[in-house]
Amino acid sequence: MKDKPVVRFERFALDNGLRVIAAHDPSAPVVAVNLWYNVGSRNEREGRTGFAHLFEHMMFQGSAHVPENAHFALIEKVGGSLNGSTWLDRTNYFETLPSHHLELGLWLESDRLGWLLPAMTQQKLDNQRDVVKNERRWRVDNQPYGDWDEQIQAMMYPPDHPYHHSVIGSMEDLDAATLEDVEAFFRTFYAPNNAVLTVAGDFDPASLPELVERYFGDIPSGPQIPPLPGRTELDPLLGEEIRRVVEQDVALPRVYMSYRVPAYGSSEFYAAAVAAHILGEGKGAVLYRKLIRTGLAQDVVAYAFPIVVGSALLVTWATAMPGVDVNVLERELSNAISELRNVDDADVTRAVRMLEAARLRDLQRIDERADALSMFTMLFDDPDRINTEIDRLRAVTTRDVRSFADRYFGETNRGVLTYLPRQS
Amino acid sequence: MSTLDRSVAPAPAPLREFHFPQIRRQTLDNGMTVLHAVHGAAPIVTIHFVADAGAVREGNARAGLAELTANLLETGTGTRDAQQIAVELETLGAQLETAVGWDAASVSLTVPVAHAATALAILGEIIMRPAFVDSEFERLKQEQLGQIVQRRQDPRLLAADVTGRYLYAQQSPYSRPLIGSTETVNTLGRHDVVEFYSEHYGPSTSAVLLVGAVDNELLDAVRGTFGDWSTDAKPGADVSTEPAADRTMVHIVDRPGSVQSELRIGHVGLARHHPDYFPVLVMNAILGGLFTSRLNMNLREKHGFTYGARSVFAFRRYPGPFVIQTAVANDVTARAVEETLREVNALRDSGATVAEVAAARDFLNGILPLELQTTEQLAARLAEIFVFGLPDDYFDHYRRGIAAVTPDDVLRVAREHIHADRLAVVVVGSADAIQQPLDQLAIGPVQKHHIND
Repeated sequence: MKDKPVVRFERFALDNGLRVIAAHDPSAPVVAVNLWYNVGSRNEREGRTGFAHLFEHMMFQGSAHVPENAHFALIEKVGGSLNGSTWLDRTNYFETLPSHHLELGLWLESDRLGWLLPAMTQQKLDNQRDVVKNERRWRVDNQPYGDWDEQIQAMMYPPDHPYHHSVIGSMEDLDAATLEDVEAFFRTFYAPNNAVLTVAGDFDPASLPELVERYFGDIPSGPQIPPLPGRTELDPLLGEEIRRVVEQDVALPRVYMSYRVPAYGSSEFYAAAVAAHILGEGKGAVLYRKLIRTGLAQDVVAYAFPIVVGSALLVTWATAMPGVDVNVLERELSNAISELRNVDDADVTRAVRMLEAARLRDLQRIDERADALSMFTMLFDDPDRINTEIDRLRAVTTRDVRSFADRYFGETNRGVLTYLPRQS
Repeated sequence: MSTLDRSVAPAPAPLREFHFPQIRRQTLDNGMTVLHAVHGAAPIVTIHFVADAGAVREGNARAGLAELTANLLETGTGTRDAQQIAVELETLGAQLETAVGWDAASVSLTVPVAHAATALAILGEIIMRPAFVDSEFERLKQEQLGQIVQRRQDPRLLAADVTGRYLYAQQSPYSRPLIGSTETVNTLGRHDVVEFYSEHYGPSTSAVLLVGAVDNELLDAVRGTFGDWSTDAKPGADVSTEPAADRTMVHIVDRPGSVQSELRIGHVGLARHHPDYFPVLVMNAILGGLFTSRLNMNLREKHGFTYGARSVFAFRRYPGPFVIQTAVANDVTARAVEETLREVNALRDSGATVAEVAAARDFLNGILPLELQTTEQLAARLAEIFVFGLPDDYFDHYRRGIAAVTPDDVLRVAREHIHADRLAVVVVGSADAIQQPLDQLAIGPVQKHHIND
């Protein structure tokens, strides 16, 4: 079918447990190398919030055979791009390279997976701790509404749930991190059996398995991964309305309305994803129509977080236009969300068409393809979801969205977080 | 297979060839430019309209007018209202992006190719027959005023909005925020929008760029849609880019309670047409363009002052700013300024090593195909060709231009185009926490400004 391109891939595994996805596409001389590790902020122990992310920074500080600062330098000097990111459920590392430098990517990634610890020093840890603390200031502490996700996670997940705390973590916990923590975290989570490697783009498919074996094959398996800390089970509904008001140096009031929804991967999550698009994606969206076209709100957002432990979250927000009463804004936001109980076919069709088109745009990039393949393999052991996920979204009917809204968009299943300008 | 020697980085395989996609040009009878490039395997096409209707055309007294006018285009035509336009396009899978810069305004969309003709017809209507309905004018004007208020509380956006005034003299458009100020936007009336539109949107000063699964049918449709657009736009006049000062000055924009200082350090830079474009790109990559640039390695990896530091030459039709930017903790603000100036002076004094220059050149050339993966990315290059009047085969020779840059060139352009003695050092942060150490640096007079000045 012309509008439904298929991403083709091969799948294999090494004896040490590393799962490998190879998606060949020689149309441009570029190749993406992408690794997902099944560890994120959800795995952090008490007193070490932010550590998974701090650790990600340490992965760029060299390894036994890669000198300090060489990781970035070697990739940049061949015209590649690279980064890593830490999220609740995972940590990923990726580079896109001119394809004749594929082995450079494999060498760098395998060296830090197999031989990181000899390169770790107190000085590097102290430096990256300062960098990450500045990242926190930059993203959170010096930004209007900058702590919204931290506030919402704390409201919507109980203290013993792994999603209760933010990815960036607290300054106090960052200060407490030690080199021993780096070693223990590495030995626990950074093992081939806890990772997925995807290579996408221009490479020789016949020799790739041998090449991966050459670089990753002699890295030993790690021990079994410990269960997540705390309590991961949650009631499907919050059971109450949780409210929080934050006074901050913001120019305009903003209301966040968050709902507990089924975890990513469950069939109901797809209704949540479609509902979020109906509410917030594009200027034809319900929140845009009800809040922005009427002059109540400056901006609106709705997003369903694709997270897998216990329950996911659907978060909406609206920022008040100057002079608009925040109580009116909250009421109208709530009313607009409630309208999804009577959503019509046109709204659902609009959302699904946008999701289909977004997929076509995203999959143009080999780095996006590689990241999606790693994700679907890691989360669901099913890389073919890169092709089939869109069918799950297409399958969502108007009736599904209505019953989803009936069940989950109630007042006793939401957190209401309000930011107000600080009274000086 | 031989045993792997991990201690050396693997040698590259033979280089794969890369050719910049072929660009084809047509000029319609009414003077409108159409550029297209067949690109990629996805069944989509990007349709990108660009006009010489950027913020340099609006005049300082009407700052914010280019933004308001472009945003109003999609809010109604003779036959469709704003909501219908949004819903119809989005139901085709197309999301409209409107962007206003200093040099141009653009309205673009990317759509599954099966719906390209329908989306194009709506886009044509938006561009050629906007209604500028009173109620939509008033709503978007209020929204823009709200954004201006919001931006003052956000340290990065505040820094973006105020830096120009310390780099450029007041008569230069680049001295003010692109979005305008409360004062200027408040004075705008619907008639200003109508006038700006009629003067700056027309076939002879605009282009349609098509990238992706472009076929003859779509090209015919573009001619059919825009071919009889007959209004005409005025060519724009040149603008002033006089600097604000002829010596180094420190400007503290006081944002009480800040836990970090947003630093912007720079001066008037170069126009896109400057003959030193390639050597300056390479020089800037070494100074602050790469992750492994001197500024980032010093401020981040050595000192841990920041999450990141970079420098940019914003090449515009007229000389845009050269700006170093970073965000640093309060207690190291003055030291970060000091280290920044040290790096600037070192590059001017001693230039860069052969290895640094080679790495920067190879980065800029290697990254080119990586940044052409999507139809939107290539459309942005076509827009660059149109807006700056570059030859159609410009990017075929781009890599040669970069490869020719030598260490001597880097030293020369560092000395010619970075002026260490007339830097505007703009610091958005808590004056209480940072003013005294900045005074003690004694690099120039220190002025404190209120956030709403």
